[in-house]
Amino acid sequence: MSAPAPSADGGGKPGGGDAARRAARLLRWYPRTWRDRYGEEFAELLISDIEERSQAPGRSLDVARGGLVARLSAVGVCGLPLRDPGAMAPAAVGDVAVGRHVTASLVSLGCCLAVALGFGAAMWSQLTIGWQWSRPASTASAAGFATVATSVAMSALLVIAVLAALPVLGTVGRRIATRQAGGLLRPSAALVMAGAIVFAGGRHFENGWPGTGGHGGLIPGGVAAFEWATSLSVSSYWAHPGALGAFPAPEVAWMAVCPLAQAAAVISAAIVVRRAALSARVLAFETRLAAAACTVMIGLLAGCSCWVATGGQPAGGQRSGGQPSLFHAGLIDVAGIAVLSLALAIAVQAARTARRGLGLARG
Amino acid sequence: MARRNAGDPADGPALAGFGRYAGPATLILSSLADGPKHGYALTKDVESFARVRLAPGTLYEALARLESQGMIEALEAQDRRRPYQLTAVGAVALKAHLDAQRLVTDVGLRRLAVNWTTG
Repeated sequence: MSAPAPSADGGGKPGGGDAARRAARLLRWYPRTWRDRYGEEFAELLISDIEERSQAPGRSLDVARGGLVARLSAVGVCGLPLRDPGAMAPAAVGDVAVGRHVTASLVSLGCCLAVALGFGAAMWSQLTIGWQWSRPASTASAAGFATVATSVAMSALLVIAVLAALPVLGTVGRRIATRQAGGLLRPSAALVMAGAIVFAGGRHFENGWPGTGGHGGLIPGGVAAFEWATSLSVSSYWAHPGALGAFPAPEVAWMAVCPLAQAAAVISAAIVVRRAALSARVLAFETRLAAAACTVMIGLLAGCSCWVATGGQPAGGQRSGGQPSLFHAGLIDVAGIAVLSLALAIAVQAARTARRGLGLARG
Repeated sequence: MARRNAGDPADGPALAGFGRYAGPATLILSSLADGPKHGYALTKDVESFARVRLAPGTLYEALARLESQGMIEALEAQDRRRPYQLTAVGAVALKAHLDAQRLVTDVGLRRLAVNWTTG
């Protein structure tokens, strides 16, 4: 049986028929916030379109693409804040929709920053271990430059992360003090707990740091040992279960637990920031920090890329016995570069979206 | 100091900032210049005057952006369909965009007439 022709004004038949089912299926491409705002009217349009042209191969692709864009927009990586129907006034700094969208952008950027810190720490730890045992002849060598560049970049990223956290902590603290912490207590507790696990585990396992016994490092030995311990899970040993089996069981367990705790900390922090309802002033400050974070991430990527591109060979070449040097870059580091590049690309998009959102609010 | 005219892009958001959405946005604003329309009516109207069929995903992507920029506004929903109407900001942006396009069109047509004989 052929589909019924749409009425002259395109009015579909709500809730019934194959067209409605197909429209409902297509609508799932879009995020909930978008569906709450446009879902009903968009479904009506889809029903009319399907009834008029049953077979239109480009339609599914177009809707999927639109849904993907809406999803990226919902997490603040692109697009503009959704407006409530009937909101006549232009967007303002205090506008809830604008604030929510800018916050989403900053949360996405924060997640990218966390990923960059995680993978950056893995490469940085290898470089600092290499530096401890066989300091490059010159900082002009690829390994020397990479160690210095990543050390500067990682330190700067940590400073930015602390600066970004301070106003959020202040806001959350004020809300808790004034008993307006609805929805903030649980994620805050989860964040503290996950952070404590990473810290305690890192401190415990740093004693097994292979850099111990080296001769003078670029950064304090304790810091280097801690970043090694907390990035232990970024390892190519996962692809070699036989070799991994030779590791002490607690260390293998830590390699599995640490990234889970780090992910829990990042997710909890994201929930806290989203629920904290940061003021327009704080959002503007965080957006400026976001631009700085992107710049530093470019420096981190440049340092790591320089090291990986040259295969990680220092001026001294190979170690005795034909073993690769301590600065040797492996496949896991190539993967790390890919992850850092992706994180940077998303972070730049999110920073631009946040800036555009604030610009829109200012008119 | 130079006096700005109504329709100066500096008065509000410009369609140039829409990038690849500028095409659908221009078609939608041109259609709404005639009066409020809902999604399907917009699609049919654009198809009739521009011979372009806006796919549903593309149409709503552009509608959401135009609404966020304050160039169009949603009216009360009627039977699960929500009509949209042009705002003053949208009218200014559309006029500025079409004026700029007309400038290019006039120059192109004049040069074609002088140098080329087209069927």
